[in-house]
Amino acid sequence: MNLLASLKHHQDLLWILVMRNIKIRYKNSSLGFLWTLLSPILLIVIYKVFLSILRFKIDLPVLVIGIMGWNFLSMCMGDSLYAVLGNANMVKKSAFPRIVLPLSMVLANLVNFLLFLVVVCFYLLILHVVSGLALPGVTLIALPLIIVTQLALCLGVSLISSSLNVYFRDMEHIQGIVMMAWFFMTPVIYPVSQVTSKFGSSFQILFFLNPMTGLVSAYRAILLNLPFPSVGLLALSAFSAWIILLVGLRLFDKLQVRFADVL
Amino acid sequence: MDDVVIKVSGLSKSFNLNRRGALTFKGMALDCVNQLRGKTDPSRLLWALKNISFEVKQGEVLGLIGANGAGKSTLLGLLAGTMAPSTGLITTRGSISSLLELGAGFHPDLTGKENIFLAGATMGLSRRQMSDRLDAIVDFAGLAAFIDQPVKHYSSGMYVRLGFAVAVEVNPDILLIDEVLAVGDAAFQRKCMKRMEEFRRLKKTMLIISHDLNAIQAVSTRILFLDGGEVKGDGAPSEIVDAYESFWRRKNSTEFQREWGTREVLLETVEFQNDANQTTDKFEWGHPLTARIHYRAAQRIENPVFGFAISDSAGRIVYGNNTQIENFSIPSIEGVGEIRLTFPQLNLARGTYLFSFSVHSADHQINYHRLDHAFPIAVESSRRFEGLCHMPCVWDSSLEIP
Repeated sequence: MNLLASLKHHQDLLWILVMRNIKIRYKNSSLGFLWTLLSPILLIVIYKVFLSILRFKIDLPVLVIGIMGWNFLSMCMGDSLYAVLGNANMVKKSAFPRIVLPLSMVLANLVNFLLFLVVVCFYLLILHVVSGLALPGVTLIALPLIIVTQLALCLGVSLISSSLNVYFRDMEHIQGIVMMAWFFMTPVIYPVSQVTSKFGSSFQILFFLNPMTGLVSAYRAILLNLPFPSVGLLALSAFSAWIILLVGLRLFDKLQVRFADVL
Repeated sequence: MDDVVIKVSGLSKSFNLNRRGALTFKGMALDCVNQLRGKTDPSRLLWALKNISFEVKQGEVLGLIGANGAGKSTLLGLLAGTMAPSTGLITTRGSISSLLELGAGFHPDLTGKENIFLAGATMGLSRRQMSDRLDAIVDFAGLAAFIDQPVKHYSSGMYVRLGFAVAVEVNPDILLIDEVLAVGDAAFQRKCMKRMEEFRRLKKTMLIISHDLNAIQAVSTRILFLDGGEVKGDGAPSEIVDAYESFWRRKNSTEFQREWGTREVLLETVEFQNDANQTTDKFEWGHPLTARIHYRAAQRIENPVFGFAISDSAGRIVYGNNTQIENFSIPSIEGVGEIRLTFPQLNLARGTYLFSFSVHSADHQINYHRLDHAFPIAVESSRRFEGLCHMPCVWDSSLEIP
């Protein structure tokens, strides 16, 4: 509650930093903010071309949605390394709740994610018109819940990596490895069924302990109107996402005390 | 006391040194664990502040002086809340705005205007509150033409002006400023001084760091002198600045200082006194100076000779003589005693000088005890002349006056 009160007091700071993060990303580029829409469109086009050449065993919409979910996480992870380090000047010169630094970065990436989602929705709509792809059903109302859960996960991991990287610059290298392993443990370039059909239920629990598994499958189930994985497994993924946020909050709160000493 | 706005008690702050020292994996692993737990090997800690306590009342302008590394900036950082104390407590009342070292936490890619809003927001001010102050800030900083430029294109003077303008115009109850009196051009400095004067009239509290002793003496109502993380003086500006200067004279003189001799006679202490019999190391040109030399002779010494020399701060001897030259005979000494050397009129030019004292045998064969360049004094003078020493002389003329 203390945290929320100080965030409310500094809500304008949070807002300014979110805007700054979005702005800085596209500084010096002539297309600027347009890139947030352009890059997912180009991404879909490229995958479309290569999937047809490589005859990869995954449908393009399934792949695109997986990439959309993964992208949010990996962008946050990449930016988080410098969320605090890159603002050393501010941390050393003024007193404000340090959490606004990773939080504003995650929120800026949320904006990117939502625009990606808009592009994906248009893409699905086109597929619906062209090839009669099923439109999302009533489960669409659950989408905000899934997005909020991913937001919690992204904030959690960002809090951990942004604060640890202040003390150990090795985080940068460790993170690269971790993200690669995490990518392959998450059904991004393969459908969930490929794993669930091959292995027993105990392995499924392990599989869904990875919060991204539940999130990506939920995005696919909602947007492509596919059957949901079991509610228990989804809950497991959601649970671990929120646990990661709690861990991140605790760790960040402990480490932020000496940020200004170390920077 | 309810007009105390800053209360610091038992404040200490340590920094962890040489984190890069750990090269082995085990050392690194230990380092990681210790870092996370906030515990470190005490020998690798630098104590920037050691158990400091003081209070600041509303309306006081507290100057902080001390050498580089004395802990001034650390203290201001702790008061501003950018760092957390290692031990001790800080309580403050009212809003605080700070300008720590050069410039606020500006982002180089944002424009001056955007940075103003950013800086305001870090202090918890809303966009609207900042919009109301925008014109005043831009006007004070004198940056109207550049306010929509990214601050990375600013000169360092412009940068500091903007930082100062923001810190002042947010109208805080407590203002913390680190070394701003030395930057900016003369016109801006005058503006700063004027603004700080206004703050003083409004009974706002200020803490100011500066190495410009004249400036800080002029603006402060009280000065805190820090050295090695400890409070070495706290009181009226002129008094503390004097103490600070004399502290430095003593510290700097150790560079030339030399002590030697058989120690059959020991020069224990030397006190310098002015015409009011006050012990001091600061003298006025033309006024008397008395040096009281306390000695101790372990056994009876026949015909000792006491001498002195005055050198300038570069170590060149200005003048010296001894009891033998002056025909002041001392048949013998034993036990403790005092010898006095008096200058009825100190004729030295303005500056810092080092006194040397010695005691040796009449034939100069045995040096009992010599303290070279050990006692610094400062001489103030309004008289202007060439050289180090004023020699009494008379100008006369035989010209016919028409």
